[in-house]
Amino acid sequence: MQLLAIIIIFVVATAISSLVKSRSVIEGLAVAATGFSLLLASHIAYTVSVSGPYAPWSFFQIDALSAIVILIIGSISFAVTVYSVAYLRQETKKGIVGFTRVKQYFMLSNLFTVAMFLAISANSPIFAWISIEATTLSTAFLISFYNKPSAMEAAWKYLIINSVGLLLGFFGTLLYFTALGSDSGTDFVSWQLLLDNSDQLDPLLAKIAFIFILIGYGTKVGLAPMHTWKPDAYSKAPAPMGALLAGALLPVAFVIILKFKIITDASVGANFSQQLLIVFGLLSITLAALVMFNARNYKRMLAYSSIENAGIMALGFGFGGIGIFATILHLIYHSITKVILFLTAGNMLLKFSSDKINKVSGTLSIVPLSSALLIIGFLIITGTPPFGIFLTKMQILLAGMQTYPVVSGLALLFMGIIFISFLKHITAMVFGDSEADIKPGEDGLWLLIPPTVFLGIIIYLSFTLPPFLKTLITEATNIY
Amino acid sequence: MTLLFLQSLTAILFLTIIFLHLTKRNFSASVAYGIQSMMVVFFFFNSFLETPNTYLILVIIFTIIVKVILAPLFFIRLIKKHALAFNVSTYLNVPLTIIIMASLTFLAHLEKFNPLTNIVPAYHQLLSLALASIFLSLFLIVNRKGALSQIIGVLSLENSIVTFIIFAGLEKSPGMQIGVIFNILIWIMISTIFISLLYRHFGSLNVTDMKNLTD
Repeated sequence: MQLLAIIIIFVVATAISSLVKSRSVIEGLAVAATGFSLLLASHIAYTVSVSGPYAPWSFFQIDALSAIVILIIGSISFAVTVYSVAYLRQETKKGIVGFTRVKQYFMLSNLFTVAMFLAISANSPIFAWISIEATTLSTAFLISFYNKPSAMEAAWKYLIINSVGLLLGFFGTLLYFTALGSDSGTDFVSWQLLLDNSDQLDPLLAKIAFIFILIGYGTKVGLAPMHTWKPDAYSKAPAPMGALLAGALLPVAFVIILKFKIITDASVGANFSQQLLIVFGLLSITLAALVMFNARNYKRMLAYSSIENAGIMALGFGFGGIGIFATILHLIYHSITKVILFLTAGNMLLKFSSDKINKVSGTLSIVPLSSALLIIGFLIITGTPPFGIFLTKMQILLAGMQTYPVVSGLALLFMGIIFISFLKHITAMVFGDSEADIKPGEDGLWLLIPPTVFLGIIIYLSFTLPPFLKTLITEATNIY
Repeated sequence: MTLLFLQSLTAILFLTIIFLHLTKRNFSASVAYGIQSMMVVFFFFNSFLETPNTYLILVIIFTIIVKVILAPLFFIRLIKKHALAFNVSTYLNVPLTIIIMASLTFLAHLEKFNPLTNIVPAYHQLLSLALASIFLSLFLIVNRKGALSQIIGVLSLENSIVTFIIFAGLEKSPGMQIGVIFNILIWIMISTIFISLLYRHFGSLNVTDMKNLTD
């Protein structure tokens, strides 16, 4: 029932937004819709932790990991929407966007959010695919939001690469249906039905299907070498959208890969999918490390950090064992930290009117609070102790040390390079000489509240896990 | 429908992709896509004859409306609006393109792909040709410099995949098919809007003119 309410709320908010001409009403509707959806998502997550998988109808099925991701989508979309209201008002003040663009922004972000909710809760792989495709379609116009040639180019690249990737994912999805035979007598193919029939799947076909799935949904996750759209899209989309793409969409697509992984594992054993995940994971970390050192754009740098963390998650699930609990925790930490970093990047962009690293310096004296958030965000995302990501990275690498010591060693080396690269760029931005013509001071309280709240959350979660969340992570570890 | 007839229809679908690789005219490419989609309609009709599921009639109607009529019309309107009679060239020259197409077709018929092409042993040849169509469509997307050709390439890839799943007997639910076709309709609408926007910004649909993302 809660899930249906979430869908209805967003559809109604979008429909009303398309009709009204008051900016405040559109903003209010978006905040209210995401706020209510956060409450409902929290209720769903709590219900799953207490009573197990939540399946209000045959079309929906929310297990422990999906419940975690639903909570992530709910909280990030609410924070991003609250921030977006203040952010877009500042942009309007500067003459960057007008009413029509703002209206388009909130309508599309509503649709994007509901598509993510549907994708993660869909009980059918085809329905999940349709919803993921819907996320591509709703975000394409958000990436081209500023209507500049570079933004158009990024959006086009995003549309084509993701569409091709998802078509390959679609092909892979349907290959799993061979397990059902031609007379399975059912029209509705659920994840559970595929899992129950996994022993009927030709092992070679299961392997081919998983490769297509990993390429297809891996494109959406941004695993190398299918990542090429990501730095362009993240850097050209409005900063709050970067937070939603990196923090919410990435885990949604990742969980869908994992749902196929358990079907594949049931058919051919875990070794095959684990090795593939390790290869793609290490490749992603390596690529991010090699590119980040020479990054010139801080939003692109965050995109590469997202590729690195997708790689770490792939490694974690590839290593298996104790690494899985740590990886799920890492997924949560990464999403929260990316919100802090992207929203802070938005504050920098508003103040300095540039996303180039060499054009942003001395931020500490101009926007001290945003700078503090940026520094802490950098420390968290690179795995500096005592924050939670330090522990999750170490646990993942320890899990790998037993079976894949070389891979773990290489991953550690590249994580070190990423830390140095990040440090180099962040220090240049924060401590350099400040521009004389930029007026010191933050642009608004509401531009600071959402990232600060998320900072509080990640610090809290670094030291303690609420029982319901611990139950969900433990349950998810048992399943995946 | 007899196997020979189905083979002929699949061959037509395959030939439309080869034509899409070689044609220089956007109008012909749009028509070729319409013809290709019509072949998919025939495959759905064959599926309907084999498994008389009345909902498949709905799928057939939706496919005709979206892929055979609306999509080519969208493209032709776009071509007229922006005077895009000729499409931009390919990255590889014609002889090299033909050699790669031949290689990909050969690849699809290798024994290595038997797990895929033997899902329904009776349709082995059809599945091999559908797999070759998938490979050629992917190559079409990467080899063409024109944005419109890339769109048609993506749609051709979708047609090839649908053809494959029909012959492999994997089209489980008409409802699912309708959902996918609806998705394709939205995709076509959005991508054609993007084509117009790209033309407005770059003055051409040549994707090599897009050089703003140099970081």
